[in-house]
Amino acid sequence: MPEVQSQGSSEISSLASPSMAANTGEPRIRVRGLGKHYGALEVFRDITFDVGKREIVAIVGPSGCGKTTLLRCIDGLLPHDDGEILVGETRVTEPIAGVAMVFQHFGLFPWKTVSENVAYGLRMAGAPKAEIARKVPEFIKLVGLAGFEKAFPYQMSGGMQQRCGLARALAVEPNVLLMDEPFAAVDAQTREILQFELLRIWQERPTAMVFVTHSIEEAVLLGHRVIVLKGRPSSIHETIVIDLPEPRTRDTLRHPRFAELRERVWGTLMREAREAEFVLER
Amino acid sequence: MLNTALRRHGPFWFSIFAGIAIWEIAGRSASQAFMVPFSTTIAQLWRLILSGEFIRQFLSSAELFLTGFTLALAVGMPLGMLLARARTLRVGLEPYIMILYATPMVALIPFILSMMGFGFAPKVLVVFLFAVFPVLYNTVEGARSIKPEMIEVAHSFRSTEWALWRDVMVPYTLPYTMTGVRQAIGRALVGMIAAEFFLSSTGLGQLIMTASQNFDTAGVFASVFVIALIGVGLMRLGLAIERHFARWRQ
Repeated sequence: MPEVQSQGSSEISSLASPSMAANTGEPRIRVRGLGKHYGALEVFRDITFDVGKREIVAIVGPSGCGKTTLLRCIDGLLPHDDGEILVGETRVTEPIAGVAMVFQHFGLFPWKTVSENVAYGLRMAGAPKAEIARKVPEFIKLVGLAGFEKAFPYQMSGGMQQRCGLARALAVEPNVLLMDEPFAAVDAQTREILQFELLRIWQERPTAMVFVTHSIEEAVLLGHRVIVLKGRPSSIHETIVIDLPEPRTRDTLRHPRFAELRERVWGTLMREAREAEFVLER
Repeated sequence: MLNTALRRHGPFWFSIFAGIAIWEIAGRSASQAFMVPFSTTIAQLWRLILSGEFIRQFLSSAELFLTGFTLALAVGMPLGMLLARARTLRVGLEPYIMILYATPMVALIPFILSMMGFGFAPKVLVVFLFAVFPVLYNTVEGARSIKPEMIEVAHSFRSTEWALWRDVMVPYTLPYTMTGVRQAIGRALVGMIAAEFFLSSTGLGQLIMTASQNFDTAGVFASVFVIALIGVGLMRLGLAIERHFARWRQ
């Protein structure tokens, strides 16, 4: 499956808009009636959505709504209790090949250099040495870390560390990328830079992506659809289609439609917050 | 250039020379029966080296130290990591580890003597017991402090249990183990001398005992002086090893 991607990617991003491609063909990820609880505490219930082969689905929701737990279930890191998750034709019960995750706190191994960290996923996938030697510099360059191959994580800023985390995930050439608030731990300026870097990279190598964030702007800027989780236990409150022109760039932020969609997602979330407060007061 | 070097290393060397000078003066003014000057100590040490006696006893001690210490490392490190991963085993063994770590090992020597007699093995056991607990304890603490996120990353990239140990558990824990190794070096040295004193008399311990019984104060001083130097050297080595394995930490 990796070959298909790397060959097809350049044509598609130049010929057709990725969101158009997203709505054609079989979905890559199918989540059906998913439920999860920790003992008596029900985290979420009846979560159902699809993600296309070249589609970014952003998931927003208040803190503690279980969006990170949902992502971990999709990765197979956590077991789910009800429903099912299909990636391609595979039912997810444990981490599967072709799915890679980018972690909120980067998850880099501090005793490994940038090169060794990027090589990690490939090594775990059993890639031959020659392939690792060829791909590691390629992906380090892709994320803009050329020249830092031998640096240890503690020698780099948060933004650079997350570039490394991104390269590690991309290097296994996954067809599903799971992003767990990847830019939440870096400063605002770096965050903006990384968002556009991610868009650039995704346009070069489109995949199915689930992007969990608590930033509404980020969700609207990156997502082709935004899923709003609500309630306790949480479930999908609304799915908002983000019909912004492709490719998304800095100009997207100034598009009038961007502001409208942002307000719409904000309104949905805030209504929830107000209802929650109201319930508490009673 | 010379000035900065002097400022940096001056106090150190001044202190060393002052210490030797005080030792020399004190030794010359005290009774030869319980204190000898630095010069006499070095002269006696030189005689011992020339006679071959010193080298023979040094090698005997080194053999004891290295055997006991290597065993402590070979047992303490894997057992520590195993205990960190296997909760039941850890909870079960923890009280015994705590008791043994807290017990002054010298107190166990009569027991070891009556169990195992005067051979090489009981002495190795003493050195082992002195050294194993810092290694074990620091390894367990280190391996337990690993962030769950690290394990999660490994699982997410479909690591096998074996690869998880090789790529995550062992490299993460090594600096902690090395802190234990540094502490263990000092304790193993104490264990070595204690074993040579209280079990069959050999090595540098025997050198001290014999010299003491013959009222050869210079011989006692020479042996103790060398043991102290070895101790300092080993501590330095331990620190260098610890730093080497911890270079990825800020």
